[in-house]
Amino acid sequence: MDLDALKANLKKDFQEIVSQAELNQLKVKYLGKKGQITELSKNIKNLPSKERPTFGKKIGELRSLCEDLLNSVQEKIEVQIINESLEKERIDVTLPGSFKSQGKLHPLTVTTKKITDFFSSKGYLIEDGPEIESDYYNFDALNIPKDHPARDMHDTFYLDNGNLLRTHTSPVQIRSIEKRGAPLKIICPGKVYRSDADKTHTPMFHQIEGLVISENVNFGHLKDEIMTFIDFFFGPDTKVRFRPSYFPFTEPSAEVDIMDKKSKNWLEIMGCGLVHPNVIDMAGLNSKKFSGFAFGMGIERMAKLSYEIEDMRSLFSNDIKFLSQ
Amino acid sequence: MKVLYSRITGAIKAKPKIESLCDDLTLIGIEVDEIKSFQGDKIIDFDLTPNRGDCFSVKGLARDYCAFKNKKFSSVTKTSFKGETKFSKKIKLLAREGCSAYSTVSISNLKLKKKFPGYIKKTLKAAGIQSIHPLVDIINFVMLESGQPMHVFDQDKIKGDVEVRFAKTKEQIKILGEKNLKLTKDCLVIADEKEPIAFAGISGGLNHSVSKKTQNFMIESAFFDPSIIKGKARRYGFQTDASQRFERGVDFNLHEDALKEALSIIQEIYHADISNIETIKNRYFPKKKLINISLDDINLKLGTDLRENTIKSILNRLEIKLIKKNKNNFTFEVPSHRFDLSIKEDLIEEIARIVGYDNLPQIKNEPIAQHYEKSDYDFINEIKTFMTNKGFNEVINYSFLDREALENLEIENKSISLKNPLNNSLSTLRTSLLPSLATNLEFNINRGQNFLSIFEIGKSFSNDTHVEDLNLAGLIYDDEKFKNWNTNQNYDFYYLKGILENLFAEFRIEKIFWKKSQNDLLHPYASADIYLKNKIIGSVGSINPRFIKLLGLNKAFLYFEIKIESLPRNDLGKLLAPSIYPISQRDFSFEIDNKVSYEQIENCIHISSKNFLIGTKIFDVYDGKNISDGKKSIAFRVSWGSNKKTLSEEEINKEANLIISGIQKKLGAILR
Repeated sequence: MDLDALKANLKKDFQEIVSQAELNQLKVKYLGKKGQITELSKNIKNLPSKERPTFGKKIGELRSLCEDLLNSVQEKIEVQIINESLEKERIDVTLPGSFKSQGKLHPLTVTTKKITDFFSSKGYLIEDGPEIESDYYNFDALNIPKDHPARDMHDTFYLDNGNLLRTHTSPVQIRSIEKRGAPLKIICPGKVYRSDADKTHTPMFHQIEGLVISENVNFGHLKDEIMTFIDFFFGPDTKVRFRPSYFPFTEPSAEVDIMDKKSKNWLEIMGCGLVHPNVIDMAGLNSKKFSGFAFGMGIERMAKLSYEIEDMRSLFSNDIKFLSQ
Repeated sequence: MKVLYSRITGAIKAKPKIESLCDDLTLIGIEVDEIKSFQGDKIIDFDLTPNRGDCFSVKGLARDYCAFKNKKFSSVTKTSFKGETKFSKKIKLLAREGCSAYSTVSISNLKLKKKFPGYIKKTLKAAGIQSIHPLVDIINFVMLESGQPMHVFDQDKIKGDVEVRFAKTKEQIKILGEKNLKLTKDCLVIADEKEPIAFAGISGGLNHSVSKKTQNFMIESAFFDPSIIKGKARRYGFQTDASQRFERGVDFNLHEDALKEALSIIQEIYHADISNIETIKNRYFPKKKLINISLDDINLKLGTDLRENTIKSILNRLEIKLIKKNKNNFTFEVPSHRFDLSIKEDLIEEIARIVGYDNLPQIKNEPIAQHYEKSDYDFINEIKTFMTNKGFNEVINYSFLDREALENLEIENKSISLKNPLNNSLSTLRTSLLPSLATNLEFNINRGQNFLSIFEIGKSFSNDTHVEDLNLAGLIYDDEKFKNWNTNQNYDFYYLKGILENLFAEFRIEKIFWKKSQNDLLHPYASADIYLKNKIIGSVGSINPRFIKLLGLNKAFLYFEIKIESLPRNDLGKLLAPSIYPISQRDFSFEIDNKVSYEQIENCIHISSKNFLIGTKIFDVYDGKNISDGKKSIAFRVSWGSNKKTLSEEEINKEANLIISGIQKKLGAILR
């Protein structure tokens, strides 16, 4: 057969192919044992030796053209097969996914974390102590001797085993100084208890307290620490005021208020002061050498301000609709 | 303390707006709790801190306000009183520093001269003090004004002379308000020849109090030492206007002047025969305190650069007088009304108060270099985050609950009770977190939830060697009739166990063992106790059905509680490179006695195949069709590997055969 005619037929044949079976037939037709191209190449030996190279070359070209066409049509058919089967796997993507419940941290945990993140990034160690405390750690060591009127400020729960439920996280200060000595920087979150219950008080609540003991600590350092914290927690344009107050374990003592951005009222957020020398001495350090500052705040109050919670008691009702928000 | 706005403006001889007055007082540490309208006036309710006894009066407030505003203030209205008759009783001070000064006066033949002044009644009413008897009203009025509590006795009821002494053994007194108090030897009393007539500085005795019939009166105005009065009233469960003032400290130079002020008011209103004022002092009468302080002390603590003159003038405004000076070292004298000032730091606070806290500098902190240590708090927070990722919501419950809740579950043994609970439902510290979480479940079911998975990290308490245990507890309840279309999670023992296994793996806690539970709270055959090495750390399983009704529920829930303080904190150490050689696996299926535990099989595998073993994975447990009675089929895949070579077919066959013969011989199993 004429080579050019063969080439034209070949191209035409491949154009009409739609299935794998037809493709297989074409492969046999041209490249099989008795295929047209195979037959032609058998003829080479019958040609005069001068013509053989040219003819051989042409046959070679024809063979690779055929193989290329086979491959490209094969690919097309495969894509077509996949596409057909994919369509059978059609799903409704708007149906909901398999259910996996995801829990939430309690708002008090989140608030505590926000506060501890700030202070631990400044190098404070995070400490805690027992919730059942002795009179000594809860009061005496904090310069609140027996019969001190300040004990009235703490509506203490006493226990039948002679101890009490700590009324503040301040005992942790003393325990930490005793354990670690000075200089020291700690932050102590934890549960505290006072016999008080109304819209703004729950008999158990959470406090967080910080303590810094070093040489030559002054009131300016305390102010800076508090101001930086308030910027972090409430935003940099928060109005702050410090006013004198009284805690037996600090002198001078201060309350810190921030101005509520909506109501323009001052809101009390924490107490602080320079550590009273009696406290430093009682914890086993020398108050002539060491000084320090301490600050403490109620976590419920901070959570209330962060999340605009109306009733403090809702933090302890454990209603899943409230907690899973 | 409730005070009329008009009384304060009268005392400061100026009329600032009430808001600015309250703002100023707040800025010097006198907190205003509330302002209320009252009879065309205002009542300001102050929340006084216990150190500021000196502010427990109109004049005290005014004095501090004027010091802050740098205004002149005259504290005492000096009255020149002279008695007409002689005071007839003898006064003895027998309690050393307990009472070191006592002034008294007798009054008789009281006859109204003019209408009893309305401003006194209004002032008392505003302060919440009941009007009892005109003379009592007058001394109470003077107390509100000056801060000096006084007491009026019916003089005819006093037998013989008067002494101030400590109570004798078994002595009692019936006080105003009908309360009978058994006194102890540290209680100070005013007594006549027979018995105590007043609980000194706290309350008068009922048997010697005045009434409408009283003819002859005796008024007492004394200085009682705060250390003796402190805590006494509280011990008997009450407080009085007098006890609150005396325990904080009443100006020790005030008693006579206050009495004179009261008498001059009485004379204004009544015709009366009044005796001379009898004042007795003993040698324990206090002297004004001295405080040494240097300029450096002040400036180092405040971070300021205040000069001598500024300090002198600030303290002078507070009536704190410089009495000695040596270069930059000063000695100041504390006025008799300031019981709260005794050390340097106290004076430093006074200076700061007047300068204004907001005017003090803010100074960058010197960093303290501390080694970072991961704390229990971090560990707890990591566990919390883990639990939320496993679908549990965090709850926080009170540490105390109703003792009955513990009794119902038979876990009240060794519980600790509160001596003074708010109410019965908060009377006992919990010994387990279970009752709290069960209550949360009931609460949420009642609000329409039919699925709940919650956890809490909190303490349980017991009168044991270990008083407080920090526990992690979790609860899953599933009563959902209609599940999400594509979810068929089975919440059972193995689900919860799986979560705990994940937890232990996450925190690299090894040597955990599971044994049939001895915990009576849980299902006796479908729950486990969890051991760390040989120590029990908690339990997991389904609640024992016998408690379901008692907890107000209809259906069981899954529960676990573990002690987390005892868990080791294993930080990730060295990271190991995985073996580059392939792992070989074989699957086995045995028929075996139903009572043989998986743990026994696993142990047997480990004992039988000692070489190259990596682990086993159980993929099927089955009993029923095609399995003999009392037997089960168990199928698992074993993996082997080496980090030195690829294992040969013979090596693996050898190990597999060891496992088969081991399990057949030791556990009587049949290879299927």
